[in-house]
Amino acid sequence: MAYEEPVTDYDNIVENCTCAFCGCNCDDLDYLIKDGHVVAVRHACRLGASKIMEDMDQRLMVPMIRGEDGELAETDWDTALDKAAELIAGAVRPIFYGWSETSIETMKHGIRLGELVGAVLDNQATICHGPSLQAVQNVGYPVMTLGEVKNRADMCVYTGSNPMNSHPRHLARYSTFPRGWFRPRGRFDRTVVTMDPKFSDTAKMSDIWVGFEQNGDYGFYNAIRAVLKGKELQHDYISGIPKEDIYELAEAMKNTQFGALFFGLGLTHTLSKQRNIDIAIQMVQDLNKHTKWVLMPMRGHYNVNGFNIFMAYEMGFPYGVDFSRGYPRYMNGETNTIDLLTRKECDVFMVVAADPGAHYPGGAVKHLAEIPVIQLDIHWGPSTEIADVVLPGSFIGVEAGGTSYRMDGVPIYMKKAIDKPETCRDDEWIVRELLERVEKIKAEQAIASK
Amino acid sequence: MLNLKTITLTLKKKSQIALEFDELIPDNIYNWEKSDFEEYQVPVGNSRFPLTDYFDIDVDGTAESPEEVKMILDGDMGRVKYIGCKMGAGEIIVNGDADLHCGAEMIGGKITVNGDAESYAGREMKGGELTIMGNTREFCGCSYIGDWRGMSGGKITIQGNAGKQLGECLSGGEIYVKGDCDILAGIHMTKGFIQIDGNVTRWPGGQMKNGNILINGRLGTLLEGFVQDGVVTDPDIDGKAFSGKYIKYTGDIALNGKGGLYLNAEKNRDLL
Amino acid sequence: MEYILKNGIVYDPANNVAGEKKDVMFKDGKIVDNVSSDAKILDVTDKIVMPAGVDPHAHVAGPKLVTGRIYRPEDSRKGVTAKKGVCRSESGFSIPSCPATGYRYSRMGYGTVTEAAVPPLEAKHTHEEIMAIPNVDVTPLPLFGNNWFVLQYVKEGQIEEIAAFISSWLKIVKGYGIKIVNPCGSEAWGWGMNVHGIDDPAPYWDVTGREMVRALSQANEMLGLPHSIHVHPNDLGHPGNFPTTVSTMDCVKDVEKNSSVRNQTIHITHAQFHSYGGTSWRDAESGAGEVADYVNKNKHVTCDVGQVTLDETTTMTADAPMEYDLSRLNGLKWANKDIELETAAGLVPFIYSGKAPVSSLQWAIGLELFLKIEDPWQVCLTTDHPNAGPFIRYPRIISWLMSNQRRQEMMDNREVHPWSHKRTSLATLDREYDFNEIAIITRAAAAKIYGYQDRGELTPGYNADIAVYDLNPNDIDPSKEPAAIEQAFGNAMYTIKDGQILVKDGEVVQIKPSQTIWTNVQGYEEQEKMIMEKVMPTFNRYYTVKFENYKVHDHYLPNPIEVKVQASK
Repeated sequence: MAYEEPVTDYDNIVENCTCAFCGCNCDDLDYLIKDGHVVAVRHACRLGASKIMEDMDQRLMVPMIRGEDGELAETDWDTALDKAAELIAGAVRPIFYGWSETSIETMKHGIRLGELVGAVLDNQATICHGPSLQAVQNVGYPVMTLGEVKNRADMCVYTGSNPMNSHPRHLARYSTFPRGWFRPRGRFDRTVVTMDPKFSDTAKMSDIWVGFEQNGDYGFYNAIRAVLKGKELQHDYISGIPKEDIYELAEAMKNTQFGALFFGLGLTHTLSKQRNIDIAIQMVQDLNKHTKWVLMPMRGHYNVNGFNIFMAYEMGFPYGVDFSRGYPRYMNGETNTIDLLTRKECDVFMVVAADPGAHYPGGAVKHLAEIPVIQLDIHWGPSTEIADVVLPGSFIGVEAGGTSYRMDGVPIYMKKAIDKPETCRDDEWIVRELLERVEKIKAEQAIASK
Repeated sequence: MLNLKTITLTLKKKSQIALEFDELIPDNIYNWEKSDFEEYQVPVGNSRFPLTDYFDIDVDGTAESPEEVKMILDGDMGRVKYIGCKMGAGEIIVNGDADLHCGAEMIGGKITVNGDAESYAGREMKGGELTIMGNTREFCGCSYIGDWRGMSGGKITIQGNAGKQLGECLSGGEIYVKGDCDILAGIHMTKGFIQIDGNVTRWPGGQMKNGNILINGRLGTLLEGFVQDGVVTDPDIDGKAFSGKYIKYTGDIALNGKGGLYLNAEKNRDLL
Repeated sequence: MEYILKNGIVYDPANNVAGEKKDVMFKDGKIVDNVSSDAKILDVTDKIVMPAGVDPHAHVAGPKLVTGRIYRPEDSRKGVTAKKGVCRSESGFSIPSCPATGYRYSRMGYGTVTEAAVPPLEAKHTHEEIMAIPNVDVTPLPLFGNNWFVLQYVKEGQIEEIAAFISSWLKIVKGYGIKIVNPCGSEAWGWGMNVHGIDDPAPYWDVTGREMVRALSQANEMLGLPHSIHVHPNDLGHPGNFPTTVSTMDCVKDVEKNSSVRNQTIHITHAQFHSYGGTSWRDAESGAGEVADYVNKNKHVTCDVGQVTLDETTTMTADAPMEYDLSRLNGLKWANKDIELETAAGLVPFIYSGKAPVSSLQWAIGLELFLKIEDPWQVCLTTDHPNAGPFIRYPRIISWLMSNQRRQEMMDNREVHPWSHKRTSLATLDREYDFNEIAIITRAAAAKIYGYQDRGELTPGYNADIAVYDLNPNDIDPSKEPAAIEQAFGNAMYTIKDGQILVKDGEVVQIKPSQTIWTNVQGYEEQEKMIMEKVMPTFNRYYTVKFENYKVHDHYLPNPIEVKVQASK
């Protein structure tokens, strides 16, 4: 990698900004501003820095509507908003998806819109940590804020998660390297364990790597629990791990002072899905009989947890909330986005700050291509290719302020540092406009039907 | 019970967006005339549309109570959800596949599906009989997510194969699978009985506290949470007599579970 | 807008009005003593008129609530209602959603609720939820009893530092007063441990509950805060814990009160859970007699009961180690949240059943406390919602307190297990609360205990927060009609908040945004500056957020009620 000189030409620095990428929500970022643009970022990892520095890359600047010819054509805000409102008001099975990269303040208008038209409100948890939430609903949730790990943990376990790639500052700022109150030597006061079929980048810098076989997660954790209960293991190998290693690992986990287990999609998306997390949670609960253990799902977006928290305090359920019958319903497999798309039930889809075109299974994207899609976002992406109405929003945490919730539930207010491009609008404003316009259409329909 | 009233709904148009039939159960409609059905607007997504858009309706006879009702749903009900949901009496026959939640929260009565059933068939069942001639998908006879108390009574029979997490959180009642069964049957169960005549892929009885699972076929992978007690002959389980030799296990020991897992000894000889 | 509630039977204990037929007038949101002839007349002839309810302790807004809602969709599903009129959909039975919380309190004639446990690091979350709760004002109490800074200052005996810290922190997180939960125990939980009794030191810090409670009480009085320290004592839920409770009340007896707006220097919360005798659950018995006895003899103490309602509910508290123990007892799903440098929390679903001996004992102990504490100004009606039961059961508890017949019936019919009378003195207590006493324990006392100067009474100039209940006190014998009492108190004929009619005949007819009540200490600027300089290096090194992002910005309180107090010198 070529050496780049530090940036010295800037007008001012805005300190303590919050990164808008992963669930670490690092709030110690400094933005160096020149001529109303961020020209350098301090303290961010490569993921966060790239998002902020590339903020104008393939930026959506002007509202667009896809014409009869199949091409997106630029238009004005009123036309685009009216078209979107019309689509939403006329839908029978609308889904409002995404939300994990926008602010709580925007979601407040979104939920009202969903309640008004009887939509399904869903977020990235449905394709990501949904199984984690389901497991939590089955067996519990022994968690902590990240600072507890920094200050107390002497063992950090990463399972089905590769933070060195997905959450680069997780070990650096929160779990492993920092000098904590009770762990003044930082890395040297802790043991890092990676449990992952892959010898990932995180495994490479761990003290112990447990490479159990793919889809073997449930069996493996079941064995550890059995050992913690004093049982002799029947088989010589469980999920590809020799039983001696399992005995040793269980012993080490029992004898630590404070252990923290972090888990990701390696658990949520392999064979037993939510049952992998179910049993990992129960293992952590078992360990609490011997010593102190906590766990945390490695949430991937800066506000994915925020949406779950918001939906829960407003309507009692975390995601996949269906308002179609006039009251909230939550039923995995029925009220989630992917199921509704693969069953071809959804007839209007609005995506706010997410990219289903990039992340959904093929069958779901195929259906999206066949129905009207409204996209509220800041960048072109695969979703723009299937969108029928495009509404250019603003960059939360850089161009607009907003509340977010970190992976551990700590609420952070993300600052505004620069102005958004003139032709773009705040996410909050856009969704509120949609709400007001749909209210108007509904009112007119009510009068007409009398 | 002699059915005195037969209501036949014959599918004429299959809706892309699923219909929700929770209001059309014998308990609610036993005194409906044909005109009532013709006026009825069925929930579809966030709207309601006339039932007659999708079905031809025929009503024959009268009924004094739900017990005397037989509903026949003719055609592919693959987009009709909540058939028989919360019903307490009467009979429903589906001549086709059934969509999600068929027989969910049933208290009594009888449902027969002459086809496959989607996920959540018999969810939170309390009583009655649910028979699926084809296969079921996931979570047949399960709980509502979060509730540790699931199906508590009644009987589910699956002639075909059962999908993942059959009888999850089972707390009473019986489930019979004639075909094969996928992973995690009886996970978290605390009471009740599951019998699988075909083969089971992996991990039955995970995290179970009590209850019994009997497998007549071959088990792919057993969990470490189960301790072998020995071989039993012609066991008596929950007052039911079984013939043959079974390897008996107790588990899931991680919870000090006292659940019983019986594996056909012949088919699973390698576990001895 | 002017209104006159005509001919009601008024119970306004703070003004010594106990069942007098008189008119109540309000104008532009305040109680007044006269109105013009343009005033709109609301005919409440022979109906009960009281100040709107004031709940001194509930868990309604904050991170624990969301953990509960997310992990108990089966509870959320139980309380779902369709949107109707001005109301959005509701969800939740023991853990209502925020809109449901507002509507349900409003329907019972309540106007003010305390959110009893706010972790400072996540205070913004509490404020977001308060913004989503309509129709009731909320008073947040931040947690300090396991805070590292406070532990450090207590260890060094630096009361002034503690006072300065509290003064600053109340401004930073927008809180009303000092909440202490299982002092030193939740810090011990950071290592999976707990403390036992008031003199058991926390590991590493070597500070005891007694030291913590005394120090915070002194700091509280130094600042002249409108509320006293609000304490959840050590040993919650353990048989034989009543001596800890009595010691906790006694350990601040010598602390001089520095406030003219309240009478107490310590408020003990959910005292029922802290009034157990015996040594284990086998020989457990009531300790309510000893606790009530102490309260009766000591005016520096107030309490709320935390009455068990015999429901399936969800326990949630900052007493995290207790929740872990509870989950091992009942085997149900356990959630936990440790908060860096500050506190911890735990949750477990719990089924209180009349068939179960322990639940029945707990039920009886709560009632014993109500019936044995002589001065209703020293006791408040709560269920520590949702821990002993959901707040929607307050009307049911009122019906129990007003009817000895009903209580006896429940014991005789075996609606509750025999432990309810075999292990307590409940069967011998035939006292029945009257409407005036009910008005005290559900509104007037709580307002006084919190030092509110704008609510809890029908004094001119105070908020027009008024409840009207469809009961004629001259016509009904509460002792014989508990069901009617419960029905009436559960469905207010009118709930008026800040002069606006929010509920009519048990239906919510208007939505109004809530206000957040917090304390802004004046005259401590020097000390606050000094303490922030002391605190910042530790803050910067050991928290995982920047201080600039830690504090609660003004926009999280769109409708604040700032209570200014002058600190003593």
